[in-house]
Amino acid sequence: MSYEYFMSMLIPMLEGAKATVLLFVIAIVSSIPLGFLLTLAVRSSIKPISYLAQTFIYVMRGTPLLLQLLFFVFGLPLLPVIGEYLVFDRFVAATIAFILNYSAYFAEIFRGGLLSIDKGQYEASQVLGLSKWQTTVRVILPQMFRVTLPPIANESVSLVKDTALLYAVAVPELLHYAQTVVNRDFTIIPFFIAAGIYLLIAFGLTVVFKYLERKLQYD
Amino acid sequence: MSFIEVRNLQKSFGPLEVLKDISFDVQKNDVMAIIGPSGSGKSTMLRSLIQLEQVGGGSIRVDGDYLVKDGIYTNPADSKTINSKMGMVFQQFNLFPHLTVKQNLELAPKLVKKEKAGDYGHRSIELLEKVGLASKADELPSRLSGGQKQRVAIARALMMDPDILLFDEPTSALDPQLTKEVLQVMRNLAEEHMTMIVVTHEMEFASNVANHVIFMDDGMIVESGTPDEVIKSPKEIRTKRFLNYELSK
Repeated sequence: MSYEYFMSMLIPMLEGAKATVLLFVIAIVSSIPLGFLLTLAVRSSIKPISYLAQTFIYVMRGTPLLLQLLFFVFGLPLLPVIGEYLVFDRFVAATIAFILNYSAYFAEIFRGGLLSIDKGQYEASQVLGLSKWQTTVRVILPQMFRVTLPPIANESVSLVKDTALLYAVAVPELLHYAQTVVNRDFTIIPFFIAAGIYLLIAFGLTVVFKYLERKLQYD
Repeated sequence: MSFIEVRNLQKSFGPLEVLKDISFDVQKNDVMAIIGPSGSGKSTMLRSLIQLEQVGGGSIRVDGDYLVKDGIYTNPADSKTINSKMGMVFQQFNLFPHLTVKQNLELAPKLVKKEKAGDYGHRSIELLEKVGLASKADELPSRLSGGQKQRVAIARALMMDPDILLFDEPTSALDPQLTKEVLQVMRNLAEEHMTMIVVTHEMEFASNVANHVIFMDDGMIVESGTPDEVIKSPKEIRTKRFLNYELSK
């Protein structure tokens, strides 16, 4: 196989990988804070807010991501009356679906992280006079973040792989270009290249999260 | 006027009455030991003073101001002011595990009192020296022994310059050797006339350091007086039985 031929496969796939990485980055930086807000909503003493958040999490975790993707990309515009205002670019609609879905999973991770924090930490903060906000930001969050790093890392790797679902809503990404070359040239090599690129991203994430875990180690 | 005045304090967890009509006074410079069997309500009583527990009835007055009067709490702003006159040391230390020893001490002065770095930085080193841990300033709590953790917790409470320190079984999680070093720090504080209320099982400390002892059982104060009165020559049968058991351990 000539170098030129290899590059002719790789270049479009790297183009597709851009969409993959872009979706990943947008989804991760949006769904982590959104997930934390959801956790707070679930724990809210205002019951309607709590029930609403719980229902949202239940629905997002209880239905397939693929269904949600199809719903946001092809389903929303079909809604009566408001549907015509809900026609987004397919990538945008898909990204929204990813953010909402993953924020539900992150909310569950954070909920577990908060449960693991000893109530003595809240009591010590209270008797020292810290406000609720100061307690959350300076005492609870840093500990929660450390505890939840491993499951967050896990979800992140899942997210990288789930970006391949864009294939189903016809948004060109890494796997789409691989499949195109496979069909065109009757060769299996693009699948290996695609696998290699996914593994590379996953490896990069693993390195970053391992570094963070070491850096935030305190016990 | 007493520094702390507790009158007819009452609290229930569901149908269980844990505090039944508790009244006592603490004067400035008092070291008060509260003894009694597990489940007698002594920790709940102590925690009520600094609002870690809500009481169902009665009054708590600190330095002339009511934290709670006849079961009704004052507004949050005033209760914050009242609570800030008290410091608390817990059985489980409750240090912040993600912060160094020095940062543990400095967090509250920085955030709550908005002190300047020069001020709290100076004082934290001073207080660490006082509890014998200046060399551990930059360690994380996980690197300390239980006794060292508790000494840090005491220093952290002192950083806020409280008028009174509340100790909730400060040595119950420690082995005898480590207990000794913590009690020594508390003894030093007593000699400097720090006002303290100490819930404890350390009868030796109660006898020799405290000037006032309260024996609680079943949510009530059974006996109260000087260590000589309560520990050396108790009048009540329940006190005698408890002391026999504690001293035979």
